[in-house]
Amino acid sequence: MATSEPQRGSESEESTAETSSPVVSNPEQYIKHPLQNRWALWYFKNDKSKSWTENLRLIAKFDTVEDFWALYNHIQQPSKLGFGCDYCLFKDGIKPMWEDDRNKLGGRWLITLSKQQRHNDLDRYWMETLLCLIGESFDEASEDVCGAVVNVRPKGDKIAIWTGNCQNKEAIMTIGQLYKERLNMPLKAILGYQSHDDTSSKSGSTTKNMYTV
Amino acid sequence: MSSGCQKTVSQAIPTRRVTVNDAAQLPHDYSTTPGGTLFSTTPGGTRIIYDRKFLMNCRDSPVARTPPRYLPNIPGVTSPNTDEIKLEADHVSAHVDKQAGGDESQFEMDI
Repeated sequence: MATSEPQRGSESEESTAETSSPVVSNPEQYIKHPLQNRWALWYFKNDKSKSWTENLRLIAKFDTVEDFWALYNHIQQPSKLGFGCDYCLFKDGIKPMWEDDRNKLGGRWLITLSKQQRHNDLDRYWMETLLCLIGESFDEASEDVCGAVVNVRPKGDKIAIWTGNCQNKEAIMTIGQLYKERLNMPLKAILGYQSHDDTSSKSGSTTKNMYTV
Repeated sequence: MSSGCQKTVSQAIPTRRVTVNDAAQLPHDYSTTPGGTLFSTTPGGTRIIYDRKFLMNCRDSPVARTPPRYLPNIPGVTSPNTDEIKLEADHVSAHVDKQAGGDESQFEMDI
């Protein structure tokens, strides 16, 4: 089956493969560093004409440090999102909702930001949160992490790390303490952990904290 | 083939924890296959931990400066924050204003 003209695609691929080895001066630059987990970044936009799940959109999945930055560097920061929008970063296979089997017994460390903090802290806190997750910053307790959510709201934005079981006190406390340190929050600031059960059943504005750091 | 044959004792496969602070410390065989399947870690084995400094150093790597290939177009998220309200309005009326090229006058209605 010798045809005179080879297919363009395969030809160009082969020729670059053959000639590339002497050209790459620093292969280290092109190695991607694998993450412990594969992560999915979701975007939620509050469109009242659609259902909650219709408003939830997967942006991309990644499992290397470089692919994380490629994504992060090419999407808007939370402070540039419209009101009512969220970003959610979750381990692949866990949906960013309470109802998911891996979330339903869990809860979240919740940071409530003031309006002024949108300019000063929101983007920085969110990036630190992402780095904590993908870098597995909580040692063994990283197993308990399901994901993180940022809510952009007119009254004040929120950032939370979700964990899988609100009874795992030890893991939750480890995560809370390390998270507070990483965000450089003042010692006197109080970070609270709330179970999803309490959050979803409480209709008022305050949910009781199961744990605090 | 000497006579000093030692008995082997079965042992658990050793695991070790490695904190990577710099790219140079990462073994060369840590990598991903095309499409992203991870190899060189085993279940329950080494947890891959990256500290903040290492992650930040990767931020401007050549690979990270290229947009991901299959990024969906979500205005205001993956593409520049154009006027979302206007976009939506355009979208709704797109079938009306195609022919007239978006001229204002076309919105006049016969009543």
